[in-house]
Amino acid sequence: MLKKFILGAVAAGLFASSAIMSPAAAFERTDAGNVIVFGGRQAIPVLDPHIRYDWSTRMIQQAVYDGLLKYEGDPAVLKPWLAEKWETSADGKTWTFHLAQNAKFHNGDPVTAEAVRYSFERGLKLNKGVAWMLKDFLAPEGIVAVDAHTVRFDLKAPYAAFLSFLPWWYVVNPLEVKAHEVDGDYGQKWLTDHAAGSGPFKLGRWEPNVLYEVESVADYWKGWPQGKNRPAGVIYKMIREPSAQKASLLRGEADIVEGLTSDDYVSIAKAPGVVIQDHKGMTTFGIKFNTQVGPTADINLRKAIAYALDYDALIKIYNGAASLETSPIPDAMRGHIDVPGIPRQDLAKAKEFLAKSAYPNGGITLPYVHVAGLEEARRIGLVLLDNLKALNITVEVKPEQWPNMVAAGSKMETSPAMTSVYTTPISTDPDAVAYQYHKNSWGQYYAMAFYDNPKVSEMIDKARGSTSWDERAGLYAEIQKQIVADQPEAFGMLQNRKWAHRDYLQGFNFSPVRFTGEVDLYPLWIKAE
Amino acid sequence: MLTFTLRKLLALIGTMLGIAVLTFVITNIAPGDPARLVAGPNATADMVETIRKESGLDKPLVEQFAIYMGDLVTGDLGTSIVTTRPVIDELKRYAPATLELVFVALFLGVVVGVPLGMLSAVYKDGPIDHVTRIFSISGVALPAFWFGILMQLYFSVDLGWLPVSGRLPLVTRPPDFITGFLLIDSLIAGKFVTFQASLSHIILPAIVLSFPCLASILRVNRAEMIEVLQSDYIIAARAHGISAWRVVAIYALKNALLPTLAMIGLRFGWMLGSTVLVETVFDWPGVGLYAVSSALASDFKPVIGVTLLIGFFFIISNTLVDLAYAWIDPRLRSA
Repeated sequence: MLKKFILGAVAAGLFASSAIMSPAAAFERTDAGNVIVFGGRQAIPVLDPHIRYDWSTRMIQQAVYDGLLKYEGDPAVLKPWLAEKWETSADGKTWTFHLAQNAKFHNGDPVTAEAVRYSFERGLKLNKGVAWMLKDFLAPEGIVAVDAHTVRFDLKAPYAAFLSFLPWWYVVNPLEVKAHEVDGDYGQKWLTDHAAGSGPFKLGRWEPNVLYEVESVADYWKGWPQGKNRPAGVIYKMIREPSAQKASLLRGEADIVEGLTSDDYVSIAKAPGVVIQDHKGMTTFGIKFNTQVGPTADINLRKAIAYALDYDALIKIYNGAASLETSPIPDAMRGHIDVPGIPRQDLAKAKEFLAKSAYPNGGITLPYVHVAGLEEARRIGLVLLDNLKALNITVEVKPEQWPNMVAAGSKMETSPAMTSVYTTPISTDPDAVAYQYHKNSWGQYYAMAFYDNPKVSEMIDKARGSTSWDERAGLYAEIQKQIVADQPEAFGMLQNRKWAHRDYLQGFNFSPVRFTGEVDLYPLWIKAE
Repeated sequence: MLTFTLRKLLALIGTMLGIAVLTFVITNIAPGDPARLVAGPNATADMVETIRKESGLDKPLVEQFAIYMGDLVTGDLGTSIVTTRPVIDELKRYAPATLELVFVALFLGVVVGVPLGMLSAVYKDGPIDHVTRIFSISGVALPAFWFGILMQLYFSVDLGWLPVSGRLPLVTRPPDFITGFLLIDSLIAGKFVTFQASLSHIILPAIVLSFPCLASILRVNRAEMIEVLQSDYIIAARAHGISAWRVVAIYALKNALLPTLAMIGLRFGWMLGSTVLVETVFDWPGVGLYAVSSALASDFKPVIGVTLLIGFFFIISNTLVDLAYAWIDPRLRSA
């Protein structure tokens, strides 16, 4: 009996082995050429460019759509794209854009001023996704198609950051969208998993939660920087676990991955044929204090905590792939200054501030909330826990699911005393960060501190309406100094952006204004022997 | 038998309604604001309100519940606020992947677990029994996500034998949808290369998912076999000179399989619920993964939909086991 069983097992094993032993391809080869495989953790539920814009969604949106302008390079520079040139009126309220004559949508229709007008109107009227960027300054009727290739924006008031948001407003083909409208939905249902763009790629397979494919457009109106080496396409493959991402890259099932842990990046860098992209980003990490309710409403306590924190430990947690914040505004952003006297660990000063607070002997317990699953944020909590022991303050490190954390942080009564928050600015204009400290931002996750300094809010309003950069630069310098003085958060560090890819993947073009994980797919190519 | 079947079907409807009520209440009292999450981190209050109105979240909870239950009766499970697609369509997309994985894992559990249980009973307290004991304890004790990662590292990265994740190679087009099971659909379509690729992708996740199931089946079958092998009719059969193989595999196994059958039914439901971890590690696009991503986004309707689906299959599998029991043992029909 045993013999029969063993024979059966061997037979089953032989059968199964016929399905295995297949070596993995280094990259996907198709009849049309090489296909780059991007392993990412985040799904793309809705592709509509006026509805959503998280990093994975925007990466594919950027591939299939074009904007009037495009961010490129490090530092990020605004480059003409659909708009070849533009001018603004002296009062900063009127912006006129002249479109490229040869731009065309994937179906061959020309990209016209009317298409631009329709796209902006659509974004504003739907009042979702990107609408917040312009809605306070631009009304649908303020967009005018002057002629076939000239479009004018008449703003309600001067808005200095206007231009900096335009790369994220993609232009859709109105004829295609209107053809797919259902009950006046502006084609929302259809654009969920279809595209009507003019970008370098068109949409291929769309398998939610599995893969999202884009195929390169051979005659893309803007041409290809890599010439004949352009890839046949890119597959964005869902690989959720960092360990699986690492395994996929090592095995050659993915050509580039974005979500490894800090330790994984260190270990995988030693693997042959693997290249690490390590760049200083604009994502800030801060420990936001609730400045309105509870013990951290006391500025002296906030200062004490800020001076007790071991900032060098934050860098160590990221294995050196981070740099300390020297201001609320990231280094790569216009108007940044190194704020003198920004707190660094100084226990004597910490005790001095604690003595001036309502809790001179400590003896309090403060929660530190971080997103569940973010290992680095958890470790920072442990550092804080250890540091604040010196002040006789107990820290409760609490992991929380992101939705719950956002919900708690939307009201000052429920916002935790200390919350770890990573924030990526949406543009290179300093308003994108400064406005986070405006009272109007209360309720947003990055405003969990409920910071309120009328003088700062006034300066922010003035700076965003000014047309003089010199005036704005002066205002932002003051804003940065005042925010640091008020200590609504412990200003932590700027985490580096990292990707790991195979060495045959060429054309990687980093730009700090892109979201974490987001890559410009347009210049990528495979150097194949 | 007919009354017994009808009684079971009525209980099924009642239980499903109970699950719907319970999950609706639990998911809706949980903290988190799905409209705010979907609106995006920078959305203004009126933008969040737009989403809230569109998805009916601005209505009182009681009204939302009445609408949901009303729709449920007509088979409408609502719309996902994150993906903006009907939940029923998404379940149709993801359920076959999960069911295929569970069936293969269950198959592995049975074809390996039952013979191993039989062997360890026959060679009780011998080396085979000790080895299978370690094997089964490991099966129950090893966390699926850890075991899965370990398998990926060894079989995919170190040996390069099997793919890391997914259901098919990226450039392989799936066969036309017939059952949604790639193994079956590819065979029907005569695409043997696709079948082979699909088989190579399912091996690791199926092994990881089947391990605890296999261990339970092994232990239950072993215990039952030991008891049955000591019964009088087996001793009598042996005394009549019937071959050892026939006594064990035919006479003893037949009676020992009844409790094992119950275990298989239970394990089927258990595996449906525990695919979450395996699907996450192996990026297997099934309902477990769908449930996790929805729960993390506070997208309640898919969570309720998945719970109902798993509950449905759990109850069906148990009902089938009950019916099989009743069919085998008439005394149970009046119970």
